[in-house]
Amino acid sequence: MQSNTADVSRRKRFDQIVAVYHQDMYRYAAWLCRDKAIAEDVVQESMLRAWKSLEALRDDAAAKPWLLTIVRRENARYFERKRLETVDIDNLTASQAALLAEAPDDDLRDMRAAIYELEDDYREPLVLQVMMGYSTNEIAEQMELKQGAVLTRLHRARAKLRDVMQQQASE
Amino acid sequence: MNCDDYKQAIGADPRFDGGAGHLSDCQSCQEYRREMQALDLQIGRALALDVPELVMPSLDGVDTGNVVALEPRRRIAMKTWYSVAATVVLAVFIGFRFGVDHGQQFDSLAEEVLAHTTHEPAALQVTDKKVSDDKLRQVVPANIAAMDHSAGLITFAETCPIGGHDVPHLVIQGEHGPITIMLLPHEKISEAISLNDENSHGVILPVGDGSIAIIGSREEKLEEVQKQLLQSVTWET
Repeated sequence: MQSNTADVSRRKRFDQIVAVYHQDMYRYAAWLCRDKAIAEDVVQESMLRAWKSLEALRDDAAAKPWLLTIVRRENARYFERKRLETVDIDNLTASQAALLAEAPDDDLRDMRAAIYELEDDYREPLVLQVMMGYSTNEIAEQMELKQGAVLTRLHRARAKLRDVMQQQASE
Repeated sequence: MNCDDYKQAIGADPRFDGGAGHLSDCQSCQEYRREMQALDLQIGRALALDVPELVMPSLDGVDTGNVVALEPRRRIAMKTWYSVAATVVLAVFIGFRFGVDHGQQFDSLAEEVLAHTTHEPAALQVTDKKVSDDKLRQVVPANIAAMDHSAGLITFAETCPIGGHDVPHLVIQGEHGPITIMLLPHEKISEAISLNDENSHGVILPVGDGSIAIIGSREEKLEEVQKQLLQSVTWET
């Protein structure tokens, strides 16, 4: 009986955490792998992994970085086994194109395409900072980098996006 | 700090608030700062991809006692398809339940909640005038839930019909505009339902024997509000 109550309580805790952070998990996965179907798969695997190791999460206030770290590792595992070729934005698979197709206006579509084409090293810290609200210190910790390297990557990422958008505007 | 240093810092983080002495005297850096902040708004909008509805993996029978070894990755299994099928069954079930409100036909709880969000334009004003504690207690009586201002600045509180019940409809002020909250003590759902339309996004979260709908603009990050609400709402029904 006690065990059953503990199971229900564990499941309730897990459901609440996942409900709150599911959107972040999916968006982070999607921008890491740039493929809608793979992102959904990575999130499913991440949820299983999180469920198995829920006891490792001591404080629910730390659930977001904990889950995003799991997503990052699951994504890496996926690509360890299946090294994808470089993405050519003019020749995307349906699942890759699906990420860009949802933009409701041209500006948003252009920006989304520009982010899509950023190198992984630039795109990931940008997602963590702008979308997840991470500080540069937290990004450095998550990506196992020096803070200086994070600052440089973020600056270069924005410079690239600025150039692309200015070029689009002048065409 | 010179222009190069400042632009490097603001390019790495447009929220950078150092270098005020240099900034006040340098028009070029002021312009660059504005440009980077505008660019970041665009980046934020672009990153906010539509999120598919949450489908929980089947967790029954998953060994939680041994987490040392990593399982080989597998494709989404038959169990997951059962979960998808269960979601469809749930959607059909909800579809039968939801009918006519204000002369409008709704096929689902999600549809009715989204439609109601724009039903009262007065609710969606940007303001810093909070509703009184008396009004909040009147709209969210103790026999529905224990609710306080800890979730944010509550600027609208009325009782509104959703799913055939009168429920508390609240609005709090978020960073990017008003955030609608509906407390739905009678709407028990098995898993979270994502809400998305052209201008807004949100979620209906299962909370005990009821649920809570939270909807904000697409730029709004709703996680903090969700966390606060989960802590501040306790069903009493």
